[in-house]
Amino acid sequence: MLAVFAAIVILFGVLAQHDAGLSQAGTYVAIFAPAAIGLSILLGNVNQISVGQAGFFGIGAYSVGYLTVERGWPFWTAAPLGIALAAAIGVGLGFIALRFRGHYLAMATLAFGLIAAGVFHAAPFLGHASGITGIPYPQAGPLTISGHVAYWFAWIVAFVIALLSLSLLRGRAGRAFEAIRNDELAAETIGIPTRRYKIVAFAYAGALAAAGGATFAAYLGLVNPDAVGIALSVDVLLMVVLGGSGLISGALFGAALIGYLNVVGHQWDNWREVGYGALVVLCVIFAPGGVLGTLRRLAFARAPSTRAAPPPPAVIAAPPVRAPSAEPLAVRGVTKRFGGLVALDDVSFSLQPGTLTALIGPNGAGKTTLFNAICGIGRPTAGRIAIGGADVTGRQPHRIAALGVGRTFQNARLFGAMTVFENVAAAAAANRRVADRRARAVLARLGLDHLAGVLAKDLAFGDRRRAELARAVAAEPWLLLVDEPAAGLNGPERERLNADLLALRDAGTTLLLIEHDMKLVMAISQRVIVLEFGRVIADAAPAEVQRDPRVIAAYLGTAT
Amino acid sequence: MLQLLIAGLTVGSEFALIALGIHIILRATRVVNFAQGEFSIVGGLIALTCAEVLHANAWFALAGATLAGFVLGLVFEIVVLRPAGRTGGEAGVTIATIGAVFVLLYGHALVPGWGSDSHPLPGFGGPANIVILSLSKDGGAVVQVQSLWVFALLIAALAALYVFFERTYYGKAIRAAAENPLGARLVGIDVNSARAISVALGIALAAYGGTIIGPITLVGGAAGFALTIKGFVAAIVGGLESPVGCVAGGFVVGVLQVFLQSRMSYDVADPLVYSVLLLMLLVRPQGLFGRRDVVRD
Repeated sequence: MLAVFAAIVILFGVLAQHDAGLSQAGTYVAIFAPAAIGLSILLGNVNQISVGQAGFFGIGAYSVGYLTVERGWPFWTAAPLGIALAAAIGVGLGFIALRFRGHYLAMATLAFGLIAAGVFHAAPFLGHASGITGIPYPQAGPLTISGHVAYWFAWIVAFVIALLSLSLLRGRAGRAFEAIRNDELAAETIGIPTRRYKIVAFAYAGALAAAGGATFAAYLGLVNPDAVGIALSVDVLLMVVLGGSGLISGALFGAALIGYLNVVGHQWDNWREVGYGALVVLCVIFAPGGVLGTLRRLAFARAPSTRAAPPPPAVIAAPPVRAPSAEPLAVRGVTKRFGGLVALDDVSFSLQPGTLTALIGPNGAGKTTLFNAICGIGRPTAGRIAIGGADVTGRQPHRIAALGVGRTFQNARLFGAMTVFENVAAAAAANRRVADRRARAVLARLGLDHLAGVLAKDLAFGDRRRAELARAVAAEPWLLLVDEPAAGLNGPERERLNADLLALRDAGTTLLLIEHDMKLVMAISQRVIVLEFGRVIADAAPAEVQRDPRVIAAYLGTAT
Repeated sequence: MLQLLIAGLTVGSEFALIALGIHIILRATRVVNFAQGEFSIVGGLIALTCAEVLHANAWFALAGATLAGFVLGLVFEIVVLRPAGRTGGEAGVTIATIGAVFVLLYGHALVPGWGSDSHPLPGFGGPANIVILSLSKDGGAVVQVQSLWVFALLIAALAALYVFFERTYYGKAIRAAAENPLGARLVGIDVNSARAISVALGIALAAYGGTIIGPITLVGGAAGFALTIKGFVAAIVGGLESPVGCVAGGFVVGVLQVFLQSRMSYDVADPLVYSVLLLMLLVRPQGLFGRRDVVRD
């Protein structure tokens, strides 16, 4: 797709060589494209709206203006400084973004854009309303970057940015973004630092806009507050929505489309803007993926495939893992209250390396709450949790996961819009090549390779659970928490699950298993911990627990 | 000082109504309506048309603008927000409201008689144009009768909202639908209409606010985005989840703005007001009156 764009750009460049108007229109597209690419990543991959791209664009433009005119810097040092400044401010906005769920954040970016415009207006050294003029054209050796040369320069910048962004999205970061967008909590538990990724996305989007702004200032030789006002932010949003968010080529397409419409409709002022507004609304309603996204969907439409699973192949031994200490997990006096409800009440136990322990108890006993506390989801009200000898109480889930802790959820939280393969690879915690290799190996080992290309949301229920197990073990954790893995599985699937769990244990993984299927629990666990109303009421070998009158009472009720 | 305070409370009344509208629409749709300020301006302009073309008095103009706001809100929800939500989720709805800003902002400039300029709106009348409020022998303030009307009409609107949401079956049903759509549906509440009525009420409030302030600040012009964001700052200052907070926040922002504008140019004062938003988001995102636990998951 990018190659097609490159061809068009070159063709256009050659044709517009002697037409200053055309050349300028083409250059503008290249200047605004980076801001659109940045927002496209933010909106399409991190699902955050920004109406502040003009602010970042202005930071790039004003940095170049101020530093070259007032300080005599060359463009080549002024521009990177402006970009770095924008990235730093993007980090700040990213922090605000993290404080909110939902889309209130868009309002904060709008405020940022208006504040930036206010600063450009008010700062005495930025020339107030008339801005900065007389910005020198950049020199590249004997070549002055102005006129049509600037067309080529701006497009080279735009394509470098496009390619950089594309490789970013195709690499580990792209998978992480995708995982975050699908299920933030699950992404955390496979070790993806969701907060950091969001902040990075903000900084990156800001830096790209600033790069466009720097080119803008050098091309026009001037910058003023009007040029970087709120209208530009909305134009950039429009480019992304029209072109297709999350697609690099979509952002380029959108930038070109708006550039074209601006030229065509330049004497239509109000009508044009009304039309833009209406286009945004229509696009959201009728073509949510933008023009390119919709075309792509039509071209690559694939039918959901939910083939019946062939008989699972023989179990292959898991690669050996080792806990870093003799105590992979120690829970000490953990209490968790939700308002007046005590979900966990002074729970203490510790696990031996390479053992399989079952955690059982009636519904509402606090089993999943305990899993959450161990994984860092919700800080315990009291007590400490140590994993591998390190106190992890209150640590973020992705940091706990990174220690070597895997987990599955009761309701199988896969990344629905990603394939099984991508789900597993996202968790493999490595660069793309290594991750892909590991993912293939894990899928083969668990007998899921025939499902690799199926979207997770199209999976049958049992396959979904096993795929989640595959994702949890992809990073080769030494502590694995499995929440009701057998629920909804049929007979052969259960047998296969047994074997897989035992293979993991034999490889040295310490397993903690929540399960209601007593046959499974008794068959494979070496130790059973029983929770009732948040308290540990039994902790012993399976046979012993089975005879414990308190456990029987908890499950069957007491005869009175 | 007192003079500034009263001026601040007057413009703050409009911010309060914008903030309340944002709050009501947010509760119903989980989305912040970027077009809230734009609807306020269009509301004021509709009142202008009522007054000038239909020769209605200020009260009928207010009723006309509010009613038109309600109808516009219904159309907005059914034609824009609902379909956008089906295909684009919350992000889609938010973007659609930004698109709506442009339709309204540049669209109202195309309407004959409205244009892109600001217009004065006839006042609500009263015995004298100004009254002098003197609290001590050296300090006093000149208060426009119109300011008093603004306060009275704000209180009337708040009272009406309170009675509607707390005392009537429909109001409670709408709150239930916003709180828990599935649960509400199960007990037989028509969630779609409840949402449409919420949005319509929010927009009607915006139009009402734009009209009652009209005799003082003029109606029309391109200030809609600024109004939206000041209303949002008010809501964040007071607490987005608390109606009382929205009103209090409106007053705080109004007073702050008037105070800053008396010291420096608008170009500087307004961005300073906006920076309060970023500051609040960083320091106390639940607002001055909000509870901590409602902010994050």
